Amino acid sequence: MRLILLAALAAAFVAAISAGAVKIDLFNMSEIERNILFDVRLPRVVLAGLVGAALAMSGVLFQYVMKNPLADSFTTGVSASSAMGAVIAIMLGLMPYIPLFALAGGLAGLYLVYRIASDRGRIQPITMLLAGIVLSTFASATISFMKFLSDDAVSSIIFWLMGGFQAATVSKDLILFGVICLSFLVIRGDYLKLDILCFDDTTASSTGVDVHGLRKKLFFAAALLTSFSVGYAGIIGFVGLIIPHILRLGNFVKASYLLPASLTGGAAFMIATDLIARTILQQGQELPVGVITSSIGGVFFLYLLIKRRKELFYFN
Amino acid sequence: MIQKTENRIKKTGRVKFGHSLIKILFQGLLLCLMALPASAYEKIIVLYPAVSPMLIELGVSDRVVGTTRSDHAIKDIVQVGSHLRPNIELMNALDPDLIIAGSRRAFPVNMKERVKADIFYYDPATLDEILVKIKKIGAMLGREDKAEALVARLKSRLSEITPLPHQPSVIYEVMAEPLRVAGNRSIVTSIVSAAGGKNLVSIDKKHAVISTEKVLKLEPDFYIYQVGPMNKNPEPPGERPFYRSLKSKYIRINELEFARPGINAFDAAVKLNRIFLGAGDE
Repeated sequence: MRLILLAALAAAFVAAISAGAVKIDLFNMSEIERNILFDVRLPRVVLAGLVGAALAMSGVLFQYVMKNPLADSFTTGVSASSAMGAVIAIMLGLMPYIPLFALAGGLAGLYLVYRIASDRGRIQPITMLLAGIVLSTFASATISFMKFLSDDAVSSIIFWLMGGFQAATVSKDLILFGVICLSFLVIRGDYLKLDILCFDDTTASSTGVDVHGLRKKLFFAAALLTSFSVGYAGIIGFVGLIIPHILRLGNFVKASYLLPASLTGGAAFMIATDLIARTILQQGQELPVGVITSSIGGVFFLYLLIKRRKELFYFN
Repeated sequence: MIQKTENRIKKTGRVKFGHSLIKILFQGLLLCLMALPASAYEKIIVLYPAVSPMLIELGVSDRVVGTTRSDHAIKDIVQVGSHLRPNIELMNALDPDLIIAGSRRAFPVNMKERVKADIFYYDPATLDEILVKIKKIGAMLGREDKAEALVARLKSRLSEITPLPHQPSVIYEVMAEPLRVAGNRSIVTSIVSAAGGKNLVSIDKKHAVISTEKVLKLEPDFYIYQVGPMNKNPEPPGERPFYRSLKSKYIRINELEFARPGINAFDAAVKLNRIFLGAGDE
């Protein structure tokens, strides 16, 4: 199964490198085609893969933190607060600082949810979920208000929020790669603890797991992954929710399998959907990638829900 | 008997004359009534900012009772919201007899039904269409002479454009991230064309989100990027890593001068022509 995932990632990568708005003969490239491949297409495909991996991984982590299969960066409010930060940057005309504002917004949201949901240093999953929903609603309302104030600039906010990888650069790829590596390394030694965390808190604590310390660590890593992803690519829905669930249905249940598989599966899915977004229209036009992820992901997830509804309730 | 007949003939003649007189008077009144709407619009709400400078030129700015909040051409006037979300209550309170809106999408039929006023849609896509609209507005407001004079002045402004030795190719950036460019239906395409250039993006839309790959492939002579509400403080294209190999000349322009289809568009065409010429001299 792992080999299938790796093969899917490799296939998506090769397809994404080979196809695009401009037809490129990879074995006989002109100077322009070489520039397109190395300056535009390659950084973009890599960024798409990294954002997909980061969102899928953050989805898995949020689901462990909240012990809820519906948790992801949206339900926890981190996505919306990151987007709020980015929209403030757009409104102020600070375009180069969008990722920084998104990161600040995400971390501020994280702190707020953490403060509300923690009682004497202990995170309460249900309170956190509710706080996340409230934060998400508040951030969405603030974004709507800023759209209203923007008037002529409203389309720039709307289009940015739809998500995409047009502004991909090698430096963004490297930074996001660093963030993913850091998050992955931080939790790499906790696979067994993550599996134990699926039981109730008392059982997990009795086995020697520092439940609350682990939750904080996971929550911070997930928020960091989400904030950087939103800052670099806007809001891209569904990835953090569907990829972990699809993988669980494919018997990637233990954390030691699920987390690496989420990175691979998320990357493959995002590269493929971005390929569709940038090639489905004619004359070099592009669709926002969030439209593709939500529609394909939603339909596929619905199919799985109907076909295999019993297996899906893994946390029960 | 003869006398009676003569009297009847005289009477019939007088009746006929009376009928003719009434007919003439009625026709005259009808003509007057037909001519009346031309000067009847005394309270105008402008929901499309590009129109206000035009109304100032036509000498009817005193008839404008409301504008949008982004329209600052006419001072000390009621603002009725934005062009996309005008406040119907405020508009009705001004009791307008004419509303000039941008398009049917911006001011749809259901809104039209809620305001008792005539609606005029102003959505020109070319310089020629702007001239046609000026004449129509002039006729509606009884300022045909001023409208004709304005049209003549704008045409003569275009005659200042110098023919270019070769037609430069252009891509016009509306928004940097995601990259949105001007398409066929944008006024910008007409401005570029009048200035002697050619918009390389032939997509049949006002704006289109396109791939940066496509920009590199098209290799435009000029990469024009607007700065304004839709593209606030964009990173200069020359500093964007993915345009490193693009050899175009980058031109930064003001969005309000180029992207609004008003009388400013003619000045924009002349200005762009000079930029093309200046670049040719280099």
